Amino acid sequence: MIPLLIAHFATAAVCLSSGRFGARWALWLAAAVTASTFGWLVTQAGSAFDDEGPVTDIEWIPQLSLSLTLRLDGFGALMGLIVSGIGTLVLLYSVAYFGRRNDLGRLAGLLVSFAGAMLGIVWADGLLTLFVFWELTSITSFLLIGFNDKEPAARAAAMRAFLITGAGGLAMLAGFIILTTTTGITTVSGLVAEPPSGTLTNVALVLILLGAFTKSAQFPFHFWLPGAMAAPTPISAYLHSATMVKAGLVVVARFAPTFASEGPWRWLVVSAGLTSLLVGGFRAMRQQDAKLALAHGTVSQLGFLMVLLGLGTAATTYAGVAMLLAHALFKAALFLSVGVVDHETGTRDMRRLHGLARVLPVIAASVIVAAASMAAIPPTFGFVTKEKALDSLLGAEIGAVGVAALVGVAFGSVLTVAYTIRIAVGLLGNDAPGIEQGDDDPHDADLSPIDPKGVHRPSIGFVAAPALLAVLSLVAGLAAGPVGDWIAKATASLDPKTAEKHLVLWPGINEALLLSTTIIAAGVALWWLTRPRTRTVDAPYSLATAWYDRLYDGLLHGARRTTVLTQSGSLPFYLGIVLTTLAVALGSALVAGASDSITSSRFSNSPIEFIAVLLTGAFAVSVVFTRNRFAAAVLLGGSGYALAIVYLVQGAPDLAITQFLIETLTIVVFLLVLARLPSDFAPAPEWAPRFARLGISAAVGATVAWFALSASSARTEPSVGMDYLALSEPEAGGRNVVNVILVDFRGFDTMGEITVLAIAGAGVVNLVRAARRQQRLKRIEDGSDVLPDEIASTRKIGVWR
Amino acid sequence: MRQAPRYSVVLAATVNGLTPILLLFSIFITLRGHNAPGGGFAGGLVMGSAVILRYLTAGPAGIRSLRIDPIALIGAGLALAVSVGITSLIFDDAFLESAIWKWHAPVIGDVKIVSSSIFDLGVHILVVGVVMAVIVAFAEADDEMGGRT
Repeated sequence: MIPLLIAHFATAAVCLSSGRFGARWALWLAAAVTASTFGWLVTQAGSAFDDEGPVTDIEWIPQLSLSLTLRLDGFGALMGLIVSGIGTLVLLYSVAYFGRRNDLGRLAGLLVSFAGAMLGIVWADGLLTLFVFWELTSITSFLLIGFNDKEPAARAAAMRAFLITGAGGLAMLAGFIILTTTTGITTVSGLVAEPPSGTLTNVALVLILLGAFTKSAQFPFHFWLPGAMAAPTPISAYLHSATMVKAGLVVVARFAPTFASEGPWRWLVVSAGLTSLLVGGFRAMRQQDAKLALAHGTVSQLGFLMVLLGLGTAATTYAGVAMLLAHALFKAALFLSVGVVDHETGTRDMRRLHGLARVLPVIAASVIVAAASMAAIPPTFGFVTKEKALDSLLGAEIGAVGVAALVGVAFGSVLTVAYTIRIAVGLLGNDAPGIEQGDDDPHDADLSPIDPKGVHRPSIGFVAAPALLAVLSLVAGLAAGPVGDWIAKATASLDPKTAEKHLVLWPGINEALLLSTTIIAAGVALWWLTRPRTRTVDAPYSLATAWYDRLYDGLLHGARRTTVLTQSGSLPFYLGIVLTTLAVALGSALVAGASDSITSSRFSNSPIEFIAVLLTGAFAVSVVFTRNRFAAAVLLGGSGYALAIVYLVQGAPDLAITQFLIETLTIVVFLLVLARLPSDFAPAPEWAPRFARLGISAAVGATVAWFALSASSARTEPSVGMDYLALSEPEAGGRNVVNVILVDFRGFDTMGEITVLAIAGAGVVNLVRAARRQQRLKRIEDGSDVLPDEIASTRKIGVWR
Repeated sequence: MRQAPRYSVVLAATVNGLTPILLLFSIFITLRGHNAPGGGFAGGLVMGSAVILRYLTAGPAGIRSLRIDPIALIGAGLALAVSVGITSLIFDDAFLESAIWKWHAPVIGDVKIVSSSIFDLGVHILVVGVVMAVIVAFAEADDEMGGRT
């Protein structure tokens, strides 16, 4: 498994670094990787279904018992087949969809790294492994939603999706950490084998569910998913309908069979799932952009799956996984079909589309089959799995929550049937209402129904992927028996009791079939009754998005207000706060540990040292009394030089050399700065009277001195200095132990220090450049400066700014 | 507008003569650091003071004519130091563990090179870069005050 994941990320690196040379070859390369993953999974499926499947366990940070644990069980193999199979189809489809563009390397690289991350999620057994891959999919999703990075709407949608799913991921991490620290178990399989219980476990499970809800776009976190439709259609089809949004379901499916009966789990998943099912279905009825309607439909369907997989009985888990497969097939087919329509007609607005059945026959057939599967019309796979789902809910003996789930799902399914018919008819119907109010709006010139004769004909390669997925939706329905047995093997790794489950195309007349027939009839009726209104209504406005934006803006505003309150910009004020904190914190610690007596109080054993210390003090005191900045800088330097003498006397020439050099450079830099400032210090601010400043200074001086004395006498272990001295020459080949400590024994510290130094240096340069550019812009606005010609000719002023 | 600053001719001549010696001396300090007082930090500061002296005698134009980007210098130093650390990781030692090479050169006698000396050279280059970044800040500020020259 590891080589496959590496292959994904290595291919991603190649594609991403191809830059402007990235073209179709990148998509082919990425498709080759996902296709070979698919092939490998087919060969491994047997062993994954029958036995435990291959396990990979690589130690990562053993000190923290962190390891990279992957396990290919039946469910992992099934999900892996979906991820790599649909991934391959989407990549091949993209070749035709994007045509000749020079950013395909980036697209292919992001898609294949997403595929790798998603495989990581479905194969992960280690909790932290799962989390790492989980966040990786959030990041790739962010980059893919914002793929058209010149569009502000796409960037905003990407940010929204990332913040929501990223926050959910952190909640999930907190849940994992609680479980790991309370039980000491670090793998999903371990937790399922020895399930913990109690309040803390419930808290952890709720946190994990939060993560799953955000990722799978469950109410109230659902709104990022329609926003994610800003991405090009192949991306929406792959990430935001078929795979990534299933990640939350994967986690729920793995935990539910064991933990569903714990605490609030079932009520939480059922309420979130049913709300999403109904809200998504309702909003899908009110979109005219076919892709957006499908996206709201996805929210709705994910709610359904969340209910099934979250209830955690053997029957619902089995039905949930089967429906998940069905959904991946038909939803990807529908998205890719809409992509073809968009590509060939130039619009996805259902008010403008009509007469496509004749000009795009393959797409029309795919849409009809996939829509039939979505609406659960026999003999499609959607019908077979919906039957199983209703049957599993009818037979679930879990009390009120099961009844609530059944009623909610029935109503949701009526909506599903209605919006499915609406989308299919909207895409393929023979007449289009056009957009009446278009006359007021001069920007959208072309709002009339399209001319079917002018529609461009897609190539075979372009329609192959949606057609194949639609055919699979049909074939899997017709071959319900074998497919069902195969799914039963896959789900046995979630819940062994599902091994005896099976699917049938025609179950005979039973409760589920009656319910299903009623749902379809009610759905058709609902569509017909609301048709006059839903033909023209377009309500892409989302209340949840508005609320989210308000919250987001409020947070930023609050942060600004807090900054204004706490950051006064007054240097004396900051210094006062910092120094008072130092004196109080250090002083109270010293008072608390006052029993430690100061043992070594050796003051001086050489007259030179005595003089040097006196000089240091005298210089320091005189700094306080001077009002002239130059004089203060020089006196401060004198204090530093005198201290260097102390080092020298004490036998630390390295320290003394560095001190001398630093002191010299500091004085020079001081003087350079002071040349640009008034010669005298500004009077002290009124809020800081002399006694207060004196008090703070004295307190800091006293505590630091006390601290230095008690720290040097607090030694309980022998000094490492002797070891260093002994090891310096043989181990590191140097006789200067100070230097050897810096570059070898404690080289890591030096590494960190020079990194800080490097960042500070880069910061100085950038601050200067930013200030310089701002002054320049001001002058350009005044008219006292002009942009150099070479810049003005290549850039607009807006970019320069 | 400030008056064009005048620089001392005597100081400029002295600095011109001193600069090569300072550069050589700074590298000497860095390399001797392994066995005697000195090291990359001190060496870098000595080389940095050569840059400062040049700024004091030749002004911002003197710094600009060096045509060295301090950020590039900082990056180079950091990269050199990190690569020494990573090299020792590759050879299965701890990060930054010293490797010692000795060989007998025909004329100059025994030569001993320790990998941590290269690390120290990285520190040296980085420190020069940081000092230079500060000086460039002043040079650019001079440009702002004196207009573009």
